[in-house]
Amino acid sequence: MKRIITKRLSMLLFVLLGVTLLTFFLSHVIPGDPARMMVGQRASEETLQEVRHQLGLDQPVWVQYFTYLKGLLVGDFGTSIRTQQPVSHDLLTFFPATIELALLAFVIAIIIGIPLGILSAVKKDTGWDHAGRIFSIAGVSTPVFWSGLVGILIFYKFLDWLPSSGRLDLAIAPPARITGLYLVDSLFTGNWAAFKNSLWHLLLPAFTLAFAQLAIVTRQVRSSMLEVLGQDYIRTALANGINGPVLLFRYALRNALIPTITVVGLSFGSLLGGAVVTETIFSWPGMGKYVVDSIAYLDFPAIMGFTFVISIGYVLINLLVDIAYYMLDPQIKE
Amino acid sequence: MIRRKISLISSLFLAGCLLLTACSSNPASSPPETKPTNSAQPTSEPQKETASDTLVVGMTSDQGTLDPAVTMDNSAWKITYPAYQRLVEYDGESTELKPGLAKEWKVSDDGLEWTFTLAEGNKFADGTPVTADAVKFSFDRTLKIKKGPVDVYNVIKEIKVNSPTSVTFVLSKTFPPFLSTLAANYGGIVNPKVMEKEQNGDLGQNYLANNTMGSGPYQLSEWKKGEYLKLTVNPNSSVKPTFKEVYFRIIPDATAQRLQLEQGEIDIAEGIPAEQLNSVKELPNVQLLQKPSLLVDYVYVNTSKGNPALQNPKVRQALSYAIDYEALTASVQEGYATQMRGPIPKGLWGHDESALQYTYDAEKAKALLAEAGASNLSLNLLYSDNKAWWETEAITLQAFFADIGVKLNLNKVAYATSREMIDKGDFDLALGVWSPDFGDPYMFMNYWFDSNNFGLSGNRAFYKNEQVDNLVRQAATINDQAEREKLYQEAQKIVIEEAPYLYLYQKDYLLPINKNLKGLVYNPMLEGIYNLADMSK
Repeated sequence: MKRIITKRLSMLLFVLLGVTLLTFFLSHVIPGDPARMMVGQRASEETLQEVRHQLGLDQPVWVQYFTYLKGLLVGDFGTSIRTQQPVSHDLLTFFPATIELALLAFVIAIIIGIPLGILSAVKKDTGWDHAGRIFSIAGVSTPVFWSGLVGILIFYKFLDWLPSSGRLDLAIAPPARITGLYLVDSLFTGNWAAFKNSLWHLLLPAFTLAFAQLAIVTRQVRSSMLEVLGQDYIRTALANGINGPVLLFRYALRNALIPTITVVGLSFGSLLGGAVVTETIFSWPGMGKYVVDSIAYLDFPAIMGFTFVISIGYVLINLLVDIAYYMLDPQIKE
Repeated sequence: MIRRKISLISSLFLAGCLLLTACSSNPASSPPETKPTNSAQPTSEPQKETASDTLVVGMTSDQGTLDPAVTMDNSAWKITYPAYQRLVEYDGESTELKPGLAKEWKVSDDGLEWTFTLAEGNKFADGTPVTADAVKFSFDRTLKIKKGPVDVYNVIKEIKVNSPTSVTFVLSKTFPPFLSTLAANYGGIVNPKVMEKEQNGDLGQNYLANNTMGSGPYQLSEWKKGEYLKLTVNPNSSVKPTFKEVYFRIIPDATAQRLQLEQGEIDIAEGIPAEQLNSVKELPNVQLLQKPSLLVDYVYVNTSKGNPALQNPKVRQALSYAIDYEALTASVQEGYATQMRGPIPKGLWGHDESALQYTYDAEKAKALLAEAGASNLSLNLLYSDNKAWWETEAITLQAFFADIGVKLNLNKVAYATSREMIDKGDFDLALGVWSPDFGDPYMFMNYWFDSNNFGLSGNRAFYKNEQVDNLVRQAATINDQAEREKLYQEAQKIVIEEAPYLYLYQKDYLLPINKNLKGLVYNPMLEGIYNLADMSK
């Protein structure tokens, strides 16, 4: 176990080096000049060159790259050209909102998706199964910008149950920052007003995001459950009088979960990186909008910082998936 | 038996999530007691309306730096403009100037020395009085920082403080629009105490990127990145605004903005595109502010680096005649636009009501092409996603040009890329917009036509005509407005005739606002900037 973790973590170094190399050179190859974005479209050549000099953009690309790497070693992601703030500061500002949203969506997708998948498998080819499958296909094939808007129309406009945008009402002060996740922070500080309010704000975007992910979980659980339920050891268990929840959860589900975990793990990664549309619709102040704005502005340091953090996220998720494998399946030994 | 129980539990799950996500066909049937009461909102109707001393503006994206010496982004100006004061200010709805921090000013006969006398009693938000030293400090700072705004103020040779209330700007050459540039955002006077916030010799750039230190009626008191910016009243300002708090909320999605405007949760919705405005206008609590703006939408015709055929004025005229301007504004801007008449838009002095305006005449266009010997012409049209309407505009132009036998290939690229290509002259035709930073025809005539400004900086048609060069340069060296107007009109005749640009339309400024909002004055020079201190509801 330890060896896996050490090996994976040391590989992380190479992955990250590759990622910085790729993003850095890609973003410098595409035409466009952040200095130009900064000085305004009507600036003279002289001013433009001055700003390029101030930003260090007049140096050869490889010099810029090594300067960037040197900074990274001491945790300096550089300064965002657009916001004029250290990129690390911006990431810390926007990342928690995205993580909070993605986590809740992930939990919802699992809580609903796994039972739904089991139900579909157990009740194969019945009305339940069809309903479950239609539901999950609807989720996967409905674009988020549409389901999000339908959600807003119903729950904000017609029913008036839930707010349509932001993390908190303007009148409510955010809880003291510990993790940056409002739900967690308000719990820790006992700030119930903020907890309730941020939960209301989270529900609609989280369900919207979960709806799209849910289908993946449900379908995966269903097919691996069906596969497992058809295997010999289940028949043997049945013959030995084991049935009901024990058979389903202890014998079948545990095996069916192994392929599911890979899918779910990767889907969490895509939740983190792909919540852009959801964030736009619900005015959610997360990474998505920040990165899109940064890309439009050719804000290299911000784009690099984001890619860097997301890559770390993916590698760690993969590591967690492997550890989960190890725990679920005793056959996988070192 | 147990299996049945499991399926029962699972089906409850299913039912639960179906209930949560399915479109509720009968919302009235939901039990009222499940309605969560929001602790922040009073339960009485109407629930969501903003308070009467609070203004909430919905904007589409967050701001970059707010430093007046750095930002060239008009969008940031809506925050900074009310937080700073300038020596002179725009007067109401006109492009004329009125006293601001300066109560009076005079210019020397040679046009090189501008002396301003400051009004007394103006204070920065921390109580420091605004003095001539602060004025000198602000402009020196801009010149030292050397970012975007320095382009405009390079003409300043020296700033002399004569007394605490008198300051003289010495220019290196006559620059008639100088006074007008002082009313722009970068003319904002900054509290010299910003130097206490300096880091690594940045002259306070980092601090002012996220804070304001001005003497305007408001100051930035909170900025939740990605969520909102909150302005509160400057306690030391002599102005006492009705709105004590102004929120600029970031709501990127147009439909979300529309719904929140409808519900009274925001008072101004900036992000609703033209095609949705007709239906938004019908909402009972919404009025549509519609005013002619100085924003023009036009086509750069690359007269030297593009397709060689475009070097012939006849071909450019043919393209100008090929466009049905009325149909174009109807399809692209829902009719909320006016066809241009030459480069200087209506509403700015120098606009010539008697100038030639191209009209749709396909036969004439074909004849001109034949005269020019240009057959089977195939041109590229460069545009980006910067303006949502450009897609429709490009397709509409393609259809018009096809009618006269010109094939138009659409070349849509990313915004940043398009700027690079325009700067290098790597296009035949390109879509563009332009709005003036200061209220002077210089913004159009000198930027667009002076052959020293090739590329993105203004002359995007790469157009060179010595006579025009002489006329606009001369107009930029004298201070007499009547004389300048004459010179500009003469130059306009030539550039309309030679058509280095296709002069399309002047866009209307459209803003859906809550009906109970009062006192909003639109100044075409301050598009997207609100006169917050005079507004109420």
